[in-house]
Amino acid sequence: MAKILIIAEHFDGKVEDSTLELCKAAKSLASALGAEPAAAVFSKDGAVANEVAKYIPAVFSVEDANLEKYSADGYTAAAKAVVESQDVKGVLIAHSYYGVDFAAKLALALDCGIVSNCNKVAVEGGAPVFTRNTYNGKIQENKKVKTDKFVATFEKGAFDMEAAGGAGAVTKVAATIGAVRTTVKEIVETMAGAVDISQAKVIVAGGRGLKDGDKYKDVIIPLAKKVGGEYAASRPVVDSGWTEAARQVGQSGKSVTPDLYIAAGISGAIQHVAGMKGSKCIVAINKDPEAPIFNIATYGIVGDLFEVIPAMMENL
Amino acid sequence: MKIVVCLKQVPDMESKFKIIDEKKIDESQIAFKINDFDNYAVEAALQLKEKLGGEVVIVSAGPARAQKDVRQAFAMGADWGIQIDDPAVEAGDNYVIAEALQKAIASIGDVELVLTGVQAEDDQASVTGVMMAHLMDAPHVTNVVKLEVNGKDLTVNRELAGGKNEVINLSIPAVLAIQSGINEPRYPTLPGIMKAKKKRLDVKKAADFGASAAAKTEFIKMFIPVSEHKAEIIQGDPKTAAATLVNKLKNEAKVL
Ligand SMILES: Cc1cc2nc3c(=O)[nH]c(=O)nc-3n(C[C@H](O)[C@H](O)[C@H](O)COP(=O)(O)OP(=O)(O)OC[C@H]3O[C@@H](n4cnc5c(N)ncnc54)[C@H](O)[C@@H]3O)c2cc1C
Ligand SMILES: Nc1ncnc2c1ncn2[C@@H]1O[C@H](COP(=O)(O)O)[C@@H](O)[C@H]1O
Repeated sequence: MAKILIIAEHFDGKVEDSTLELCKAAKSLASALGAEPAAAVFSKDGAVANEVAKYIPAVFSVEDANLEKYSADGYTAAAKAVVESQDVKGVLIAHSYYGVDFAAKLALALDCGIVSNCNKVAVEGGAPVFTRNTYNGKIQENKKVKTDKFVATFEKGAFDMEAAGGAGAVTKVAATIGAVRTTVKEIVETMAGAVDISQAKVIVAGGRGLKDGDKYKDVIIPLAKKVGGEYAASRPVVDSGWTEAARQVGQSGKSVTPDLYIAAGISGAIQHVAGMKGSKCIVAINKDPEAPIFNIATYGIVGDLFEVIPAMMENL
Repeated sequence: MKIVVCLKQVPDMESKFKIIDEKKIDESQIAFKINDFDNYAVEAALQLKEKLGGEVVIVSAGPARAQKDVRQAFAMGADWGIQIDDPAVEAGDNYVIAEALQKAIASIGDVELVLTGVQAEDDQASVTGVMMAHLMDAPHVTNVVKLEVNGKDLTVNRELAGGKNEVINLSIPAVLAIQSGINEPRYPTLPGIMKAKKKRLDVKKAADFGASAAAKTEFIKMFIPVSEHKAEIIQGDPKTAAATLVNKLKNEAKVL
């Protein structure tokens, strides 16, 4: 039977949450297409393949010294070997740091279409139709592939995580990995800092809408102090050096779940939202009524933060 | 070092978006600018040129309006550029664009480094650089936040989740997708803007480079997402709204 194949992602022997989300996605998509869900796991010795098998009925394991660490060359060669040895209809990959690094390469190696950064998939007329965000989440689009097979990458959180249950069958697949042209020398920490905003009950976060570093300091920090919380930032604020990296919230920063998260001058890009959507109460202050942050906020004020925040200060 | 930067012109995301016939956005309301991530790629290329010599070439696929932002990169210091102004490419998918860009780059000859942004702010695909690398049979690294060149060897940092970086070695020719924060992009100077007007910009069609890829994906439609959850928008002038908000946070949500 045709298969919907996910490529598992693991780090230090631990299976990533995004892989468990893909297990869920593969099951529902496979059943809608009359196919079977399966996973491909690439590693040095196959240990992690047994772990993935708790979440999906069939696991294809490629084991090679060159697969000890992730590489685009290694993962593409291994995935291609699995696809060619099985009847694979589609490949699902996380839109993660590793996923974006090889998914498009795999699609070209398989000579098939890729729809990347999806958040939904439905089956219409026997073919998958993908939904994805564009224009910073202000617009969504539907796409499908014109080729027989497909590759798709999915945003984190697009699906719930599959729970551990069964004991899937693990089958080894032979692959010639060939030259790996990127060598990982080491892994370094870049966000170490004295502050730990992840413990704060209240967080006041400022974004690019603050305009410059002085305004960020004059507007965001006093409000954070007044409500007894921590101040934080979106990525452009950190990129521009207005505050330190340890205060960045999002996919490449900290994940936070305070009781109150105030987002001022932040548009609500998916990578920012990934780090704060679990907050109990979210306040968005933005002059653009269509900013995606309003889709996840509890309360919103459409207006100029330079007028709204001083007025809040007067009432606190 | 001979460096190409792939630069895409994109809408300013604060624009008011309107969709025409579920097919395309109404450009009459839209201001266009350089894709933010590509600005960092231009700066990275200019810094390498300042250190190692060589040239920086901008390659962009887009309609006539894109010339404004190619010239913006010229004003920052890029040397010359190629604009692929071809409706057939515009109508294609990421693969069609990647192939056209890659063939244009091949026509330049002896390009050692190709830089892209990590993603285009409009299509958010993050595939173009990886596709070009595959077509060039060159190695690539995405999400690059640090870059050093030693002769033919590159040492780059790839951003990972949770504040970690992988330090990676590879050799040129290579494709790197540059992530924001790697540098502080410069602003064009007035003399830079004057010089930019005279710099060479070749306007081409895909066929001029022998590019002819067919799309492997099909666009169906676009729409404004309807969220199941919308914020309770607090009305009134800033003073009234702020007072209501503080009251709600204290007495309704009880989070202050
Ligand atoms: C791999 C990857 C990882 C990333 N990781 C992260 C991450 O960890 N964290 C993160 O934040 N981003 C991350 N990003 C970047 C993300 O895609 C967005 O670019 C970023 O979140 C935008 O930040 P922003 O909302 O501050 O700026 P913008 O998107 O520019 O939004 C600014 C907002 O301010 C509003 N505004 C302007 N002036 C005012 C005013 N006077 N009053 C009120 N509102 C105003 C505007 O309407 C706009 O909505 C990542 C991107 C990639 C590709
Ligand atoms: N039409 C284009 N012209 C030039 N460069 C492009 C174009 N489309 C994408 N790119 C480059 O590829 C990167 C990633 O884009 P994407 O894969 O569309 O998210 C961008 O940051 C640009 O550097």
